[in-house]
Amino acid sequence: MEIPAFVQNIDPIFIAIPFFVIAVFAEMLYARATGKARFEPRDSAASLMMGLGNTVFGALFAGLLTTWFLFVYEHRIFTIGFAWWIWILAFILDDFIYYWSHRFAHTVRWFWADHVVHHSSQHYNLTTALRQPWFSPLTLKFLWLGSAMVLLGVHPLMVGFIGGLNLIYQFWIHTEAIGKCPPWFEAVMNTPSHHRVHHATNPLYLDRNYAGVFIVWDKLFGTFQPELEDERCRYGIVRNLGTWNPIRISLHEWLAIVSDMRHAASLREAMMYLLAPPGWSPDGSRATSKQLLARWHARRGSTPAPASAAAPEGEIQSPAE
Amino acid sequence: MLLVWVLIGSLVGIAVMVAANAWLGLNEPARLSSLDDAISRLDTDAVGFDAGEGILAEDGSAALVEAADHSVIGLLVARGDGLVIRYLKPGLVRAARIGEGGQLTIKLADFTFPPVTVPLGQSTHIRLWADKLNAMQG
Repeated sequence: MEIPAFVQNIDPIFIAIPFFVIAVFAEMLYARATGKARFEPRDSAASLMMGLGNTVFGALFAGLLTTWFLFVYEHRIFTIGFAWWIWILAFILDDFIYYWSHRFAHTVRWFWADHVVHHSSQHYNLTTALRQPWFSPLTLKFLWLGSAMVLLGVHPLMVGFIGGLNLIYQFWIHTEAIGKCPPWFEAVMNTPSHHRVHHATNPLYLDRNYAGVFIVWDKLFGTFQPELEDERCRYGIVRNLGTWNPIRISLHEWLAIVSDMRHAASLREAMMYLLAPPGWSPDGSRATSKQLLARWHARRGSTPAPASAAAPEGEIQSPAE
Repeated sequence: MLLVWVLIGSLVGIAVMVAANAWLGLNEPARLSSLDDAISRLDTDAVGFDAGEGILAEDGSAALVEAADHSVIGLLVARGDGLVIRYLKPGLVRAARIGEGGQLTIKLADFTFPPVTVPLGQSTHIRLWADKLNAMQG
């Protein structure tokens, strides 16, 4: 099987970097001219340093990951070539896997410890797209979700190339500068509007719109939420960070998990701190996204909230971490 | 060697982008307009906050609001053009010290929240709030 030269020689993300930089400058000028986008220099510096660190640590982990993926490819189920239609199918399959990987990243605290980095800015601009975690291999997701396509028989270089295209697509949707796209596009594709919802901490918007490229996955699996005019997005995480230090941004949730597990009363409790949704606690002193949403509905009287979501009488629950 | 130059180039590029960001003046420091503003933000953030007494920094850069049942103190602090909120419970406060000019410095047992100095001016309540916070030390 012949591997196309461009797959071996071209890293699409590397090529895209100059366009990323130009786009960030353009968005800053747009913000200056219209006031419709928000920037904070220290926040931007943190996001850009997180992006650089992600690249550096990616290079450090590259040998390990390459060895692993070549090992999996040696044990592949099928041998799938590089025909043009394979590219299309592989791109769609990669986006489908991305949806589930991303969903787990929000609903399992172990994976959230990594992904929270990307959500930790209270701003939503193109620098936020580059705010990426440093220690992703620690989640070990590459051993299963990350290996699924390679095990099926898609060449690792094709998987890497397609993954790069997916990430490049997701860059431009991190902006407030674009309102809504044409209805047909909003119906099928992930857009700035859909992804603003994903980055918002409003209870109605929490854990919605996990899509990478195609928003249809959220519509299929019941996690879609359109952006509403009367519910303006508030960005960040439920318990926002008071620091711009990239090391603290990288490590804070990992350390919080370790601390919670150390103080757990039982092995089961320790495992729940690791694997339950973010915000879970044995005494209900924190709240998960579902509990916050139930409380929000209960306040509005829009949907009856389950009893488990209500705060104990006389006690104010602090929001989820 | 090439990698080192790429790294240096990236750092220079980041510095230029951040400098442009600052030069364009795209942000204004966040400020609370009143204690009611602080309470409203807590209420939205916590999806329900039954507020009791509170105190606002002279320049609106921070506020402390105690829950009506005294179980929690909501702390709002301006960080850049945004606000960061913490709900203080026993064990979360390391220290609260009164400094010159009515400044209250609060240190939390929180990896992501550096010490904050709240200018409360000549408020007669500053000692009261320092005591409330120190009562929450672990």
